[in-house]
Amino acid sequence: MDGSSERIQFSWGKRRAKGGVKMDTRFYESFTLDNVKYSLYDCVYLFKHGDPEPYIGKIVKIWEQNQAKKVKILWFFFPDEIQKYLRGSVMEKEIFLASGDGIGLADVNPLEAVAGKCTVICISKDERNRQPSPREQAMADYIFYRVFNVENCTLSDQLPDKIAGLGVEVLLNPKDELVISSPNALNPNADDGLAATAPPPHSAVKEENESPDAAVPLSQPAAKEVDAKSPAAVPLSQSVVNKEDQKPVAAIPISKSVIKKEDKKSVAAVSVSQSAIKEEEKPVASTPHPRSAVVENNAKHTQSQNAQGGERPPKKLKLSQEATVKNMTPAVTETRPLELPSRQADRSKWFKISWDDKLQRADEQGTLVYIQNLDINFAAADIEELIREALQLNCTAKPINHPTYDDPNNGKAYAIFSTKKAADDAISKINSGLVVGGRPLYCSKGLLKVPKSSGTFVGHLSLHNIKIGPKQREEQKKAVSTSHCSQPNTIEYDLALDWMLLRAKQEKKFEILHKDHKNAREGFASIGSKAAKAGK
Amino acid sequence: METSKEKASKDKEYADFEEKVKRTIYIDHLSPQVTTPVIKAALAQCANVTNVEFIVNYTIPYDIPSAALVELDDEMQAKAAVELMTDFPFIIGGMPRPVHATHAKAEMFRDRPPCPGLRKDFRWIKQGDGEYEVMRKLKNLAKRHESENMALIKNLLDEEKELAKQQQEALNGNGKKYEMLEDVVSDGTIRKLAHHYGVRLDD
Repeated sequence: MDGSSERIQFSWGKRRAKGGVKMDTRFYESFTLDNVKYSLYDCVYLFKHGDPEPYIGKIVKIWEQNQAKKVKILWFFFPDEIQKYLRGSVMEKEIFLASGDGIGLADVNPLEAVAGKCTVICISKDERNRQPSPREQAMADYIFYRVFNVENCTLSDQLPDKIAGLGVEVLLNPKDELVISSPNALNPNADDGLAATAPPPHSAVKEENESPDAAVPLSQPAAKEVDAKSPAAVPLSQSVVNKEDQKPVAAIPISKSVIKKEDKKSVAAVSVSQSAIKEEEKPVASTPHPRSAVVENNAKHTQSQNAQGGERPPKKLKLSQEATVKNMTPAVTETRPLELPSRQADRSKWFKISWDDKLQRADEQGTLVYIQNLDINFAAADIEELIREALQLNCTAKPINHPTYDDPNNGKAYAIFSTKKAADDAISKINSGLVVGGRPLYCSKGLLKVPKSSGTFVGHLSLHNIKIGPKQREEQKKAVSTSHCSQPNTIEYDLALDWMLLRAKQEKKFEILHKDHKNAREGFASIGSKAAKAGK
Repeated sequence: METSKEKASKDKEYADFEEKVKRTIYIDHLSPQVTTPVIKAALAQCANVTNVEFIVNYTIPYDIPSAALVELDDEMQAKAAVELMTDFPFIIGGMPRPVHATHAKAEMFRDRPPCPGLRKDFRWIKQGDGEYEVMRKLKNLAKRHESENMALIKNLLDEEKELAKQQQEALNGNGKKYEMLEDVVSDGTIRKLAHHYGVRLDD
């Protein structure tokens, strides 16, 4: 593994008391990991090696002792984890809070094992619980109202007074309504500072063509390409995790997850439906039996806790023995290099990778080709078929002309190939002389630089010099969403007409230019055919 | 090659798509702040919106207004909506720049099904072929057209900025004028002036 894996951003938040026998332990109220702020009693995801799906828990203690940062996690159970003891129906998005005493209630884990935040709303009618608004409930990743007692393995909807030594009030809904974060771009330089909420891995298939401003809760900016030398990928385990058969967990949470595009576009949807994380071809990560590898690891790592028989296994997520936070060295086994569980999988699109994400990734990998001078009537499938027939290469393509501005004589498209070599091949071949229906195509690599649209809109005017009271400001904000037909008796009407006039002129200009282009091309075509005839 | 069954289903797919195109309108010059619900509410007066798809800008290296393909219930509504927005300045979310609407065309949809019967013949041309020179020149022509197009776009965007600036200045000027009038009325100066000039205020 590459020793120089990037340092994950980390900083402590508010401090609390000191403690411990030797007064060497410092407790905290919050910390920031990889630019996401986690506070006490936040719900978080944690990954276990070998499982495509993470566990959910609540942070109940945060501390640092002897340079080691730790968190104590109070667990939630998924319905299938406690199927044996489940009676009655299970609500959508429902999970169960652990209670009682014993194995499976809570565990201490290294802080770096935290892989993202998650919203879990309590809908219990208990009087100590602040009742959530319907919006909160709809937008939450999960909900709970029942607790599962790990001692006697019973389910109950009566909340006990204390869980894990804490009064149950702190474990219920926070006093203020949770801020649901806005979409976070996959770009690590996300603009908004709100912590991203990681969407549940069970979330429904998201539409591929979601409009850019639809609120797709994205996970932390984590979709990083795995360095070629560091093959730590989550194995594509298709099977449902059957907890009953769990062996003691070596539980190395996955650090980087790779989202690779499959060769065939159809397969992408299928494979991604299991998880968006594909195995590297490196021998290291390609063990077909993740569970057995985990067991192997187990044999080599000492585990303090052992699960009994069919009991709930401890979900202790442990780093490799010799590793501290920063020094991750490859593990003893030849299969799994143990890495810092720093990067979270981009699970926002576990079931479908959106076209925009694909573009981004392809560009980084050098498999993106920008083709021009196509016939504008070509659809995505046409382009792909063309490439297949002409070059014997597979790709995913999409036409990308902008209807208002782009020249309709020149059709443009992005094509994503499976490997860099394929892309390079395609480019050199197409540029050397591929003519489609009389149009010589040309192409280049990479994404076009397109500026992000600024929030302001040219032409929407505002009155600066009027002092507005706070109430009016509120109304003004709401007024942005009102729309209307302008009436001829307002100043606005004149201004609007100005714009319409301008636009009509623009349309004319485009028309003239594009017609010009068309004629020029046709002129050329005739010259071309004459030359061809002459040449023959 | 494709079986006749496949072909039939493709034809049908395309026919459905064409239907969809007929009842979709293309709205341009939208503010980037406009979202789906805003569009739905805006058009509620004349049409029922079933789907809104925003156009993502991949190719224009400038800050351009938003655009969207809005699918309505049927062709009649689409016609009505386009007519409304061409006859009157229709303003969505902010003033006073109106939006622009036209009927959608098949090539606007990025995810369109393939058009059956489209010519997809291709050939390879090498150096030394009679046509090579011509093709090369055609390529260069296309590239030049592209840059011409971009230059035009930039020019138009600059024009828009100019107009906006002009209007803003005029607006500010008017605003100040009205403000001044209001102040004058509210603090009684106007009565004094009226008295001084012997003009009656009630007229």
